[in-house]
Amino acid sequence: MSDATRTEIATDTQQGWSTRARNRFIGVFRLSPTAAIGLLIILFFAVLALFSSWIMPHDPVAAYTDRVLQPPSAEHWFGTDGNGMDVFSRVIYGAKFGFGIAIPAVLLSLVIGVPVGLIAGYRGGLLDEVLMRFFDGLRVFPSIILALAVVAATGQSLLNVILVLGFLDSPVFARVVRAEVLALRSSNFVESAVAAGNPTWRILFVHLLPNAIQGAMAQTAVRAAWAVRISATLAFLGVGIQAPTPEWGAMIRQGAEFMISGQWWVALYPGLALIFLVFGLNLLGDGFRDLMDPRHRSGS
Amino acid sequence: MNDPVLTVTGLCKRFPLGRKRFVNAVNHVDLAIAPGETLGMVGESGSGKSTLGRVILRLLEPTEGRILFDGQDITHLPKGRVRPLRRNMQMVFQDPWSALNPRMRIRDLIGEPVRLHMDMARSERDDRTELLARRVNLSTEFLNRTPSNLSGGQLQRVCIARAIATDPKLIVLDEPTSSLDLSVRAGILELLAEIREETKAAMLFISHDLGTVRMISDRIAVLYLGEIVEQGRAEALFETPAHPYTQALLSAHLPSDPAIPVARHVLEGEVPSPIALPAGCKFHTRCPVAIERCRRDVPAALTVPSGQQARCLRIPEGGNILERKEPA
Repeated sequence: MSDATRTEIATDTQQGWSTRARNRFIGVFRLSPTAAIGLLIILFFAVLALFSSWIMPHDPVAAYTDRVLQPPSAEHWFGTDGNGMDVFSRVIYGAKFGFGIAIPAVLLSLVIGVPVGLIAGYRGGLLDEVLMRFFDGLRVFPSIILALAVVAATGQSLLNVILVLGFLDSPVFARVVRAEVLALRSSNFVESAVAAGNPTWRILFVHLLPNAIQGAMAQTAVRAAWAVRISATLAFLGVGIQAPTPEWGAMIRQGAEFMISGQWWVALYPGLALIFLVFGLNLLGDGFRDLMDPRHRSGS
Repeated sequence: MNDPVLTVTGLCKRFPLGRKRFVNAVNHVDLAIAPGETLGMVGESGSGKSTLGRVILRLLEPTEGRILFDGQDITHLPKGRVRPLRRNMQMVFQDPWSALNPRMRIRDLIGEPVRLHMDMARSERDDRTELLARRVNLSTEFLNRTPSNLSGGQLQRVCIARAIATDPKLIVLDEPTSSLDLSVRAGILELLAEIREETKAAMLFISHDLGTVRMISDRIAVLYLGEIVEQGRAEALFETPAHPYTQALLSAHLPSDPAIPVARHVLEGEVPSPIALPAGCKFHTRCPVAIERCRRDVPAALTVPSGQQARCLRIPEGGNILERKEPA
């Protein structure tokens, strides 16, 4: 008995990181299968984005003018587009844009939304009213239309798309954090922190933030899915990122005109990639929500 | 005689309740605490004792009156200028489970007031933190844990360590033992008594438990509906209580020796609502010796022969003393 335990412990410490990672993943999978599947899909796309230069068989912007609009083949798995570019390579490269827009946009939303939520919730009163009404105002407009207008007005660049999405989505995080802070504001540990002589910034960022951030963190995956979706929509509508940049939305726009003439592969593959990444992020988001809220936890 | 650390005059706290209605939580309170002195504040739940403690420390804004702390009028001092003064006025809360940030380590919780108010290098602060932990009899092995790993008594020791971390001149203790197990209580009270001897800090000890207050206080103030009805030296107040309310409170409190015959005065009725305070003497609705005059006239604080001050209209004629009923 004791010998068995000892060997178990010994093997446990000798485990490589891959085994530990696998065990960790199995742990997450048991807690929330949804989150685990979402995580797998996201990891798949992350690998594509990070190692695209090794995976891509062709240069995503090299135009083979002699092979325009070829159907999928052994040489071009997903066929070629109207410029004779390899769709497979372009879809893989497009993952870079998905993450390259979603991650900084969500980070920006957090950087703006979380402090606003903290201050509005803690101070309350007029400041809270003004900040929250302003943010409500932002959310009254359909976000795509607002994003379209702002990107069109401020200039067509990747950076502008990120800034606009990040700013437009910050009210989501402000709301979540504010709600948590409202519940915590009158709690004893906050009063005790005030009594100890903490300045307001320390109350907000040292005492309230760590206790109020989980809800916002659980939202990040869903908001990243939103950012991927909206940025692709913008590109599809011809705002922001322009063809022939290998961005999925821009590629779908390019391919749309060939759908009627039967060259379905130009739009289909970037479309599928987009659907799967958004699906993966949403699954992870649902998983986060399940893990956060015991009422949503299925079984046990 | 030293100047008092804290002098409170005519202090009122009203919470607005919609149109022209107020909760009168604290009503015209006068008190003073000398350096090293412990004032026990006794009252039933809802008597405004916790509110009073918070207003004194400017955690709640006073509605009326004056708070003089360490010779300085802090009644309407802006928050930013009160903050540095908190080095000298700290508080211990009733419920240690919720009074500590659940995501901070004990080391950072105890070290926090030091960090905020004392200009110390990190290593000095760590040394002081460990010293404070040992002072409150908390093993230093807990320093790297979070509050959820400690028991109620241990957490209250952490709160006390926080409160004494900057050597404050005044510590307000808001029912520091009432949420703890009886077995843990004695240890905490002993610790507080030791700290009082060592630091010479003035204490305002708020409690609903007369026995606890008697153990630790030099003087006692009895609060009823936000008003101090009797205030004086602990022995005098316990031996010869002047106000009928104090007498009733004491008779409800069991003596340590079961052989002592207990005269029971059970108060009838409920504490009146602090939204609509009774006219005249606030205690007249429940007072066994109330007469017609008590409904109209507001009693002033009178000094009785045993030295304490009480607010009862019947003191001059001696009608304030409840009949000592011998138990059957």
